[in-house]
Amino acid sequence: MTNLATEPAWLEERRQRGASLTESLPLPDHKSKGWEFTDLARLDLGAYATVSAAPVVRGAEGATVVSLAEAVATHSELLHQKLGSLVPIEDPFVARNEAEWQDGVLVLVPRGVRLTEPVRIEVPLEADGGALSWRTLVVLEEGAEAEVWEHWSSPSDEVDGVLNSVVELSVGDGATLRYVNTQDVSEKAWIFATQRAQVERDARLDWAALGFGSGNGKVRMETKLAGQGSEARVTGGYAGGPGQHLDYDTTQEHAAPNTNSDLAFRGVLAARSTAVWRGMIKVDPGAQQTDAFQESRNLLLSTDAHADAIPGLEILADDVRCTHAAAIAQVDRDQLFYLTARGLDQAVAKRLIIEGFLESLVERLAEGPVRDEVSAALERRLAEIL
Amino acid sequence: MATPEVLAEKRELAGINADYKEKFGFNDPETGYAYKAPKGLSREVVETISEFKDEPQWMRDFRLKALEHFEQRPTPNWGGDLDQIDFEDIHYFVRASETNSRDWSEVPEDIKYTFDRLGIPEAERKFLAGVGAQYESEVVYHQVNEKLEAQGVIFTDMDSALREHEDLVREYWATVIPPNDNKLAALNSAVWSGGSFVYVPAGVTVEMPLQAYFRINTENMGQFERTLIIAEEGADVHYIEGCTAPVYSTDSLHSAVVEIICKPSSRVRYTTVQNWSQNVYNLVTKRAIAQEKATMEWVDCNLGSKLTMKYPSIYLLGREAHGEILSIAFAGDGQHQDAGGKIIHGAPKTSSSIFSKSISKDGGRATYRGLLEVANGASESRSKVVCDALLLDEDSRSDTYPTIRIDENDADVGHEATVSKIGDEQLFYLQAHGLDEEEASKMIVNGFIEPVTKELPMEYAVELNRLIELQMEGSIG
Repeated sequence: MTNLATEPAWLEERRQRGASLTESLPLPDHKSKGWEFTDLARLDLGAYATVSAAPVVRGAEGATVVSLAEAVATHSELLHQKLGSLVPIEDPFVARNEAEWQDGVLVLVPRGVRLTEPVRIEVPLEADGGALSWRTLVVLEEGAEAEVWEHWSSPSDEVDGVLNSVVELSVGDGATLRYVNTQDVSEKAWIFATQRAQVERDARLDWAALGFGSGNGKVRMETKLAGQGSEARVTGGYAGGPGQHLDYDTTQEHAAPNTNSDLAFRGVLAARSTAVWRGMIKVDPGAQQTDAFQESRNLLLSTDAHADAIPGLEILADDVRCTHAAAIAQVDRDQLFYLTARGLDQAVAKRLIIEGFLESLVERLAEGPVRDEVSAALERRLAEIL
Repeated sequence: MATPEVLAEKRELAGINADYKEKFGFNDPETGYAYKAPKGLSREVVETISEFKDEPQWMRDFRLKALEHFEQRPTPNWGGDLDQIDFEDIHYFVRASETNSRDWSEVPEDIKYTFDRLGIPEAERKFLAGVGAQYESEVVYHQVNEKLEAQGVIFTDMDSALREHEDLVREYWATVIPPNDNKLAALNSAVWSGGSFVYVPAGVTVEMPLQAYFRINTENMGQFERTLIIAEEGADVHYIEGCTAPVYSTDSLHSAVVEIICKPSSRVRYTTVQNWSQNVYNLVTKRAIAQEKATMEWVDCNLGSKLTMKYPSIYLLGREAHGEILSIAFAGDGQHQDAGGKIIHGAPKTSSSIFSKSISKDGGRATYRGLLEVANGASESRSKVVCDALLLDEDSRSDTYPTIRIDENDADVGHEATVSKIGDEQLFYLQAHGLDEEEASKMIVNGFIEPVTKELPMEYAVELNRLIELQMEGSIG
């Protein structure tokens, strides 16, 4: 359990606060805002024992990549300042994470340093009946440039556990971060991920996420454009199989003038899978010259698949251009006909159409190893669910 | 730059509905009321209303049951701020006149004067097939074209319909919106009064629109009209409603229930030009069901009120039924227009579209709130939702909350929304062609809402354009 004796006072206080909020914050139900379509009735959070993970982390030259436990000793001041600064405790999941985290990584890229290879973090959710509280803190100082690849997975789809992650991405003035998160935990597991990025003046964030695993839960991806001239591009892809319920909750908040955000999500839902995507664009007063875009598309492959899309706009400045689009459709019959008329069998033709649907997501990523890996991961996943 | 005359003119025209007070804002002296219920809501008040109207027992029971629902249900905590509504500080029933006239000359002088000022008889002569005018709780004037009457079209106020066509009313009453649907629908069900009853027999086309005009006169008044429209197989009818109220310092409440039944292959269009004064809470439940091959269209224009919460709905229950919602909202100083629409696809090959246009100005807030649902089994359904919002200054706010729920893989559904300000390039182009900035802005706004105004009868389109132009005056620079 937590080793309070060796931890600084600020951390001890935060753990205590997290513990008391874990007790007092109720689990959301279908009447809680944002939880209307994700049913937690079968979740008994207390029944999962706190477990530790054995993450595999590969650093990159120029960056400090250390476990959070180590960073508490070596970078206490930075952690005090940054840890929890982007994700406040608003639900019992974050509260429990604050109280219990043992495992996590700090990625610190100093001012002006440009990494030439990606940082890789692999987090396994292995223990049946275990709840893992995981934290990632990425800090890019002014003008830094980095690519971080994080992968959450389980050894099998039989693991019944909880992955409770908090990810904070702090992108300093003029910095550029590419963050790729692929989630492929057990389809019996719960996932609660609260992820928030803050992008400062003239900085740029390119965030890509893939969701294949988990049985139920909620993944938040929130971006705050906090500095003038900042930009964010968020790309999400998910593919659900039998019995899975995927919930993505995205926010693009424009808090400074002359900021730009572009979010695109695409989902493929096979038999008896359901997905809900909720996306909000917020433009704060004074955030003029905002350009915000948001798009969500779902492809339903079966009559018993179900998708909800809840895009939203809250605009409190006037010199803005905000657009969102959502679409839910099946595999296009005309395309299918076209392909089968050319001698392809039905299954192959369908596969090609679905790949084409996902291809436009892949094309949003810069050419290189990340794009190739995302593309390969999508292909593997399609083979599983089709 | 601005001369004192221009400034004075701007001041005069700056507000939403700047001439509202002189045009609609008068209130008639209250001395002539036949009956005015004391403020507040209770079993006794509900029983008194029912007794007063000499209603059948089933309606009385319906009202009392609805009152229980009202008392049990919480006030909605989403949308606009309803905390300031004091349900105990409202007159639930006011009878202005003893009789309901069919001849304009029989309408009591003071009420006639009111509607003369609003141009009702003139409009009737010009282009209406029938007209009803509701003053406070009850309808004071009703007229329907003789030819239509001969064809069996019924267009009367709801109280008369309950007396004269009880079986028909009872058959369809509350079948689309049950009394426990929501708190405000429960309130309406308990204290309803007035509204229109429209019955169009099979195969009959009503060429010209039927119109109802609603007017609140008393301070702290609640208006709870109830409208039921039944279009039999192959029937076709267009119903228009307009609403105004005087300007008082305290708030009034308008909470209507409108139910529409579109039988197979029928078509109903329901148009609203809502221009309540800015102290009216406008909380309305409107819902239609469309059977096989029927078409239902809501054209919903919200210009007035302090807070409007209204989401006209269409349940597409028969194969190939079609639904359309066109919505315009204009939110000025102190206004919150929380409007939108809901379409539920419940049968195969159904199609629908929602087009929403909103304009926010002077700190006003326009919200689009919508639902598009395709239920399992509604295969080959198609829907398109497009919401556009214009923000005219940095104090104003625009929200878009569409919800899309799809339970059927064989469906094609799209949603798009944009929020923007008037484009500099558009302005530049028009100014380069000799228009000043204000004229250019008006033209752009008119172009922005044109897809909706072109669906309105000419008289309404002209009126709507005029109102919006007035609201645009002085909004630039």
